[in-house]
Amino acid sequence: MLRDRSFRSGSAQRRSPVVVTALLLAAILLVALDQAGMLGDVRVRATSLITPVLAFTHSIGTTLSDAFGQLRTPAQAEAELAALREENSKIKAENLRIQEYQLEISRLHQQLRIENEKPWQLLGSSISAFTLDAGRHQILLAVGSEQGVKPGMAVIAREGSNPAALIGVVEEVGPQSASVLLITDFNSAISAQIYRSDRVVQGVAQGQWQRGSRLRLEEVMREDVIAAGDVVVTAGLSAAFQAGLPRASIPPNIPIGTVEQVNPSGHTQQAELQPFVDPERVRYAWVILNVKG
Amino acid sequence: MGNTQRQRLEEILAGELVLMLALLGIAMLQVALPVRQLEFFPNIMLLLVVCRALLAGASSAARWAFYGGLAIDLCTGSTLGSHALALLIAGLAALIALAPFNRTSWLVPIVGTLLGALAYHVLYAVLISITVAPVDPQAYLLVAALPETLITLIPALPLFLVMRWYAERRRGRVPVDAY
Repeated sequence: MLRDRSFRSGSAQRRSPVVVTALLLAAILLVALDQAGMLGDVRVRATSLITPVLAFTHSIGTTLSDAFGQLRTPAQAEAELAALREENSKIKAENLRIQEYQLEISRLHQQLRIENEKPWQLLGSSISAFTLDAGRHQILLAVGSEQGVKPGMAVIAREGSNPAALIGVVEEVGPQSASVLLITDFNSAISAQIYRSDRVVQGVAQGQWQRGSRLRLEEVMREDVIAAGDVVVTAGLSAAFQAGLPRASIPPNIPIGTVEQVNPSGHTQQAELQPFVDPERVRYAWVILNVKG
Repeated sequence: MGNTQRQRLEEILAGELVLMLALLGIAMLQVALPVRQLEFFPNIMLLLVVCRALLAGASSAARWAFYGGLAIDLCTGSTLGSHALALLIAGLAALIALAPFNRTSWLVPIVGTLLGALAYHVLYAVLISITVAPVDPQAYLLVAALPETLITLIPALPLFLVMRWYAERRRGRVPVDAY
């Protein structure tokens, strides 16, 4: 049998239990003294001596950590890549949300400005869908009867530096949606008027989209003088002209557009209108719920 | 005669001082060097004490444990003497448990480290509970003791072989003989 033979002297072997016991007692004594707070000064001095070396060693450890951090297994790299992709996706989603909030703030700001300028109570909505087919030229709003929208209400929008202008009239209402017949649709006929210096010229703003145009002011008396550049606004008499919209409640003085060209037609005259807002480009609109005061 | 004794005493003191400084350096490395990416690092001081106990006996291992433990206590700010006490018990546990076994077996350092680590962590957990705050045994076992013990086992055999080789060289003879 092989055995490690002791190489120490006999006295050393005899001394062993004494040394071990002494060191054990010393360690226990140190614990007790430190707990009693009697080694505070000694500890502080010893710590202050080793701290610079410890800091140097720590800096080496940090350097090694940084170097070690560069070494990654493919699995770690893939996991990190997946985590980064997920983070990137979250940041993009967050960015989109921020952009949405900014847009919402911008729209609310616009709404506030319109409500300050005009006596209208507005309800904003994004455009859910366009149904720009040959039959009906209409849009779908993301608000409905639950938000107080009713058929016949005027829908306005804003484009560029133009004033908020009429783009259509609510036709049908669901709990969370409303279809709006655009003023450019041939079936849309809105009572309109032009303020001249001496009188008010009245007519009907008739949609012309199915006829290859946009909007035309018709039924204007021949003797009324109108000219290119005149501003056309609503007259508030839509109910009288639109058989399909018996509850039309379009308030007066909503801007519609400007006169582009005047054409005599028999005993009347008509004018091609340039709408203030192109309904096809609208992405957000407001329903006029009622007129304040 | 007096000069010889004084010279011998100076040699002993110088040797102890060198040992203290060496163990302080190892303690610093153990405390400050571990890279952040490694959640656990081998307890080198425990390994040294256990190997020393198996190779050189209780007295020498106790000195290593005492100096090394105090060095760790200073570096980590733990209660002075707590690591020293835990290392002393660890070395003694390994030595006593493996006293009848052949030091040439490769299992000796591994089992010794295992037993030493067990004793070390049990005593250290008790000391923490007394001096700092009560320790949840299960959490301590799973979070601290078991991972550190397992990772400390990895270098146990190589370090033991290196230390044995060095001890044999210093003695100038092969410590293993047949009888």
